Amino acid sequence: MSVLVAKGIRKTYGSLEVLKGVDLSVGAGETFAIIGPNGAGKTTLFKVLTGEVSAQGGSVSFDGKDVTRLPAFVRARMGFGRTFQVARVFGELSIFTNVVLAIEARKVNGGESCGRWWDWRPSADTSDEARSLLESVGLGRQGDEEAGLLSHGDKKRLEFAVTLAGKPRILMLDEPTAGMSAADRKSTTNLLRDLKAKGITIIMTEHDMDVIFDLADRLMVLNYGAVVSQGDPVTVREDEMVKQVYLGKGVGHA
Amino acid sequence: MNGSSFMRPAVILLFVAALAAAPFAVNQGLLFLIGIAMLQAMFALSWNLMFRYAGLASFGHAMFYGIGGYAVAAIIFHGFPLPFLLAILLSTAIGAVVAFVVALIVLQRAAGIQLAVLTLALSQLVLLFVSYTDFLGRDDGLSGLARPVLDFGFFTLDLRSPTAFYYFIMVAFALVTAGLLWFVSGRFGRVLLAVRIDSERAAFLGVDVRRKRIFVFTLAGAIASFAGALAAPWAQIISTDSMSWFNSAQPMLATLLGGAGSYWGPVIGAFGLILVNYFTRTFVGLSEFMVGGILLFVVLLAPSGIAGFFEMLRRMRNRTRTASAREHNQ
Repeated sequence: MSVLVAKGIRKTYGSLEVLKGVDLSVGAGETFAIIGPNGAGKTTLFKVLTGEVSAQGGSVSFDGKDVTRLPAFVRARMGFGRTFQVARVFGELSIFTNVVLAIEARKVNGGESCGRWWDWRPSADTSDEARSLLESVGLGRQGDEEAGLLSHGDKKRLEFAVTLAGKPRILMLDEPTAGMSAADRKSTTNLLRDLKAKGITIIMTEHDMDVIFDLADRLMVLNYGAVVSQGDPVTVREDEMVKQVYLGKGVGHA
Repeated sequence: MNGSSFMRPAVILLFVAALAAAPFAVNQGLLFLIGIAMLQAMFALSWNLMFRYAGLASFGHAMFYGIGGYAVAAIIFHGFPLPFLLAILLSTAIGAVVAFVVALIVLQRAAGIQLAVLTLALSQLVLLFVSYTDFLGRDDGLSGLARPVLDFGFFTLDLRSPTAFYYFIMVAFALVTAGLLWFVSGRFGRVLLAVRIDSERAAFLGVDVRRKRIFVFTLAGAIASFAGALAAPWAQIISTDSMSWFNSAQPMLATLLGGAGSYWGPVIGAFGLILVNYFTRTFVGLSEFMVGGILLFVVLLAPSGIAGFFEMLRRMRNRTRTASAREHNQ
């Protein structure tokens, strides 16, 4: 069954048509990757799916419900989790508070209690959950540090923890390994594989072909706002058109 | 635990003790100014609530201070048979409702400089409206406001006594300051900080950013109105000055001077400004010169204000302490 379905997405910025009627359908538990050269419209498509920008045409539905007109925060409450190309964390706050925030937001939106109303500190369950989430992304020891002082890779990890704290049903990852060292890339890939095993649906854009062929069940190639090819990674890799526009002559790296 | 965890409560306790002792230590003129300083501090706290916790810089915040003041003044001046405490509550509620409506309209889109200009324009509009309203005394405002006697049935509190009114303001100031501190330290304060730092990211946690901003704007408007509602009978006069752009600048100057990054910054700044005004009162124009000079000094040398300056000192001391401890261990 399809969790996320988009039909005929069109988006223009002024006279520039960025998306020219894109269709996609992602099944429950599937890992779906969107690739394409710079300027192909990946990030715009992403933003349309998450609700950050509205499209001029087409529809998006999640779990059979039409969400085309719903703003991002409502979609987030429905189970969209998102990370950004350049990790966005709340830099002035501690690492721990970043995660606490996300847990508390989830609890409030789900109608759960966040502990005693008069107590300004996070409740014991919230703190425990935050600590174990940080542990799971390898930031367990640094909780009190200011999030803004983290390295790029660690910010990405923290953003993951923050996103996972929302217990998303679908993860939208915009280049999850961009700018990472090889070791960080490896650990992120492992983390994603674990999430995938837990049955979380993942949609991602990515430049690193190793990561994609490692994780993706299905692949969509976008060029100039149109779908060039779609299918399982092996088939797509052999597609002549794709080789031309994106992969280059038989090289596995973009 | 380092030494500064005891420092802050100690400083606050000293501050409260000094405020409480003031009626026995200073003359009436200075007592009046300290009362005004507490009201300005509340006003500045409410402005920084918006600025620090929702990222909204209003340039017309005095609108609400004035609305609260005029509401109470009109009730007293025209002799409406309303108990004083209810009059204060009503004025605060009027301020809150106006702030809510303004927020609904203004926060539809505007943020940043647009919000600043829009709020400034709106406040000037309200000022113009007041200055043409006979009921509110037109340009002259309402003066000769009688201070009330609070009748609680089994005892009365005579606010005609400056000392009694002073303590009344002090209690209000303590309640508002403690209440706000509790509010911003909790779950709600955390969410608001997130909204200010990165509203788009906050939306992806499922936070309704616009609603949070409207709430904060309303709360800030209510607190400013409350401060204004106490200021009118304290000064026994209200005029359009209370909602002028000059008064709108006061909480901003206080916040800048004291430090926007700290909860206590606006309080420190508001008292600082009043002190400067007091000590330069005999020299015409010197106060503006001093305030300007001090602000220049603060902005250039301690951009995070007085509170930020102390925080920096504390961090530096802690760093040298950990460094020397490390050396000691080796």
